[in-house]
Amino acid sequence: MTNFIDYLLGGFSNGAVIALMALALVLVWRSTRMVNFAQVGQAMFTTYVALTIQQSTGNWVLALLVAIGAGAILGVIVFFLVIRPVKNSDSTGAIIATFGVLIALQAGAGMIWGGDPRGFIPPVDNAGLEFAGRIWPISPYDILVLSATAALVIGLTLLFTKTSLGLSMRASAFNPEVARLSGVRVNRMLISGWAIAGATGAIGGVLIAPASTISPNSFDILLVFAFTAAVIGGLDSLIGAVTFGIGTGLVISLVSGYSDSGNAPIVALVLLALNLLLKPDGVFGHHGARSV
Amino acid sequence: MLETVDLCVSFGAVKALSGMNLTVPRGEVTAVIGANGAGKSTLMRALAGLVTPQSGQVLFDGRSIAGNKPEDIVRNGLALVPEGRSTIPELTVEENLRLGGLWREKSDRGASKNLVFDLFPILGERASMRADTLSGGERQQLAIGRALMSDPKCLLLDEPSLGLAPLIVTQILELVSRLAKETNLAVLLVEQNAVTALRVATTGVVLNLGEVVKSGPAHEISSDEELRHAYLGY
Amino acid sequence: MNNVKNLRTFPGNRIIWHAVIVGIVWLLLLVLNNNIDPLYSSYLALVAMYATAMFGMTILVGLSGQVSLGNGALMAVGGYVFALTSMNWQTVPIIGWQWNAVWSMAFAGLGGILIGGIIGGLAARLRGPYLAGLTLGLAVGVPAITNRFPELLGGENGLMLSVPYPAGGYAALDSALGSSSDSSSDGTVDPNSAVEEDQYAELDLSEFEQGADLDADLAPEDLLTDDDLLTEEDFGVGDQLTDDDLLTEEDFGVGDQLTDGDLLTDEDFGTGTDLGIDGGDLGTDLEADLDVGVGTDLGTDPAVDLTGITDAFDSGFIIERWQASMAIAVACLVAFAALNLVRGRQGRVWKAVRDDPVAAAVVGISPSGSKISAFIVSSLFAALAGAVLAQILTLVAPGAFGLGLSLSLLVGIVLGGRSSLLGAILGALLLVWLPELVDGLSGDRGWPEQITNNAPNLLYGLLVVAVVLAAPGGLTGTVRAWIDKGRGKTRSPLS
Ligand SMILES: Nc1ncnc2c1ncn2[C@@H]1O[C@H](COP(=O)(O)OP(=O)(O)O)[C@@H](O)[C@H]1O
Ligand SMILES: [Mg+2]
Repeated sequence: MTNFIDYLLGGFSNGAVIALMALALVLVWRSTRMVNFAQVGQAMFTTYVALTIQQSTGNWVLALLVAIGAGAILGVIVFFLVIRPVKNSDSTGAIIATFGVLIALQAGAGMIWGGDPRGFIPPVDNAGLEFAGRIWPISPYDILVLSATAALVIGLTLLFTKTSLGLSMRASAFNPEVARLSGVRVNRMLISGWAIAGATGAIGGVLIAPASTISPNSFDILLVFAFTAAVIGGLDSLIGAVTFGIGTGLVISLVSGYSDSGNAPIVALVLLALNLLLKPDGVFGHHGARSV
Repeated sequence: MLETVDLCVSFGAVKALSGMNLTVPRGEVTAVIGANGAGKSTLMRALAGLVTPQSGQVLFDGRSIAGNKPEDIVRNGLALVPEGRSTIPELTVEENLRLGGLWREKSDRGASKNLVFDLFPILGERASMRADTLSGGERQQLAIGRALMSDPKCLLLDEPSLGLAPLIVTQILELVSRLAKETNLAVLLVEQNAVTALRVATTGVVLNLGEVVKSGPAHEISSDEELRHAYLGY
Repeated sequence: MNNVKNLRTFPGNRIIWHAVIVGIVWLLLLVLNNNIDPLYSSYLALVAMYATAMFGMTILVGLSGQVSLGNGALMAVGGYVFALTSMNWQTVPIIGWQWNAVWSMAFAGLGGILIGGIIGGLAARLRGPYLAGLTLGLAVGVPAITNRFPELLGGENGLMLSVPYPAGGYAALDSALGSSSDSSSDGTVDPNSAVEEDQYAELDLSEFEQGADLDADLAPEDLLTDDDLLTEEDFGVGDQLTDDDLLTEEDFGVGDQLTDGDLLTDEDFGTGTDLGIDGGDLGTDLEADLDVGVGTDLGTDPAVDLTGITDAFDSGFIIERWQASMAIAVACLVAFAALNLVRGRQGRVWKAVRDDPVAAAVVGISPSGSKISAFIVSSLFAALAGAVLAQILTLVAPGAFGLGLSLSLLVGIVLGGRSSLLGAILGALLLVWLPELVDGLSGDRGWPEQITNNAPNLLYGLLVVAVVLAAPGGLTGTVRAWIDKGRGKTRSPLS
């Protein structure tokens, strides 16, 4: 039982990062109706940028902010150069193009920063907290990750539900034609979607990096987890992405704890396959959760 | 107010509109009637900027708007309610309405909203409900309300009667025609359902296979038996 | 021209026509294979292997419009079935005939068909991005399964193969080893224990090197330090090795000979060098090992008397040539099948469903049936290619069948031309040639390794984007469009 609780607690901060990546996928899906398979590649790249900043200035907050900016810009660049020209004419090509971007980003990062796994020093202690006579698998850094994720999710929810920009983005996602007829500049909304997704992914990347190491391919597995979470959540739903992102993190932590972390991809695959078998369009899709 | 000159629209080999001339004055309803496939929706979409005309002109307020983007056209005061109850079901009634005037100053939006709620009180009652909980007639009211939120000078209605009970259609169209008179709004109404449309319209235009076959005062057209048999199918 | 058209209308004639084309190509390739340097034969083997897998991608991605990232995983299925059956079965079940590699290939194909049917059944229900994501999960998840069953599947280290080479293969090697070193205690080889023996017989690293370069996933030298490679834990053979045995080139006394060119001709080493048995150093991290430069620090055991090995073989047997002729044979058979499918009724069915599933259903074609059949065919081809790769590497290991391999296949098919079999061949050539080109350039200009190792993938990524944007038909589609333009015809680049 103690084990169970430990494994569960240990899964939260990983789950939070999966949730952020899943959120990024959902944000892109909502704006452009496509999955950006380069998303974690972008996050990997901006995390390297953050690492460089941190190593040269020692300032983690600055590194995070730069990564957020770089993530947004990279998202917009990918959208303009790759997605917009091809999206409507060739949907298969659009999917393939995102993989092209992923391959190029990984190779580019390898060129610039090398393939050696690099460590990212956390801004606060990453050792388990001692409390009530034992050490818990939650560190101050985990708490930082969880609060940052919570803040971001709340911020995004407010943005989407309370602001004009959010309403415009949602309308553009649900029905671009009606949005345009209402005077919404839909193209700008797509760009905003890609920028916000890029920034969200960048935050996720910077947050996960200290938990292990970063290398050009180290986020590949995160893509699978995030995609699984996003799809189970319905691809359309922010709440779904967060819920199932954290859920995926917990399941993986339990699987890793009770067996071996090498089994995590298999579990993700099984979850994904089962979900798609039962609901080819996701569990929450086209239901209530779509509205936020 | 709104005028088209020799407007032509093609989809590949299909000529959907060939040389359309039309004038829509303020303060009254102009009805374009024609059978399915006559090119009515194409006309509306060309006016609103959703399709680019091949040739010809669209003059709005004396300025040429053909080829402009839809979001700019609506901001200039030409609002389209497209075919098939064009609301966004995932948004609430209030959000659907708000969407219609997001680009406007906040203070101006309030006035439009009051106008819409006066016109269609049911929308006020359902403001916080999702649009997909509304009935068909209510959704059509919402779609018109959303268009009115942009404070248009000219309102384009594409087959508002589609799938609605005749009584509700009559109610809605009478409201619209009253609005046109009271606020000096130009209304272009496109309908297959000629009887209802011509009842509220001042001028009628009969469209067939992309060409105007007849235009004139609405009552003349509704009493022209030959026309009715040939093009309107009743 | 007229003749060709007439032939096309009679399926029987068309099959003969295809058989003639494929037969001629096969012959030409065999002649080529026998007259080039064995180094080029090993490239040829890789091209044939990639082409085999990519014929399936042509059908799945190009004709049937299903973007799959999972074909590397399907290759793994073929490779592992090949390895397991050839290692564990001496006779054909039920029939009782002597087992041989052809049977292993057949079972690998069968495995591919089965898995393809299962995944295809699931995939047929899915729209584009969902399918891509699911197959991405396959690419990452299937290799992980090998860790789930380390006894059966060999975990990270994978399984060393005892490929039944026609000229004697393992038995001969083993006696050579037995007579020349103390590594092989009893003189018989249990295929399963091959890992523990093989680091003595060093070997054909050229394939690994190429394989690695092609492999988008590999993050090479960075991961590799001497420590990684040469500890006893990695080899799992501590009892027989001391660090001294393994660690330095001086110890090997052959370091100076193990340069690229030398290693790959049998004049230098005799066939011993080419046994194609990887060292046990495939140990912890295949990625690392795969990219090790030829002969630099992989432990060739000094105790192996190379002349002894040479003697044990017919000196006419060159493993690269054998591997290439095997890979070519499979590729040609698959090409023949693919040609008949693609240019026959089935090809039109796949395209019809891709272009408009509803219209296809109206004329009586089952969209899901069509999608599943494309998956099964492509999975069969992938499994056969995986079995070929297993024989080229004489090893199956998760790292060899990772996401990088799947991505490579996608890259190749897109660059070559998504819906053309010729495009698959061109893509395969590109996958093998481009890294060599970059390597050559970098050698000339003295680029740092970091650049050299990543340049091919950077090019692939950028080229894929460029091709999707500017020339969706890839190489073949674009050339064909030019030709058609010259003749005054037009057609869609993806038709
Ligand atoms: N997007 C389009 N692509 C091709 N043809 C179209 C398109 N939209 C309309 N058409 C054709 O244009 C003609 C007029 O259609 P439409 O304007 O919708 O008619 P109506 O609204 O009067 O029923 C029809 O023949 C229709 O098939
Ligand atoms: Mg219409």
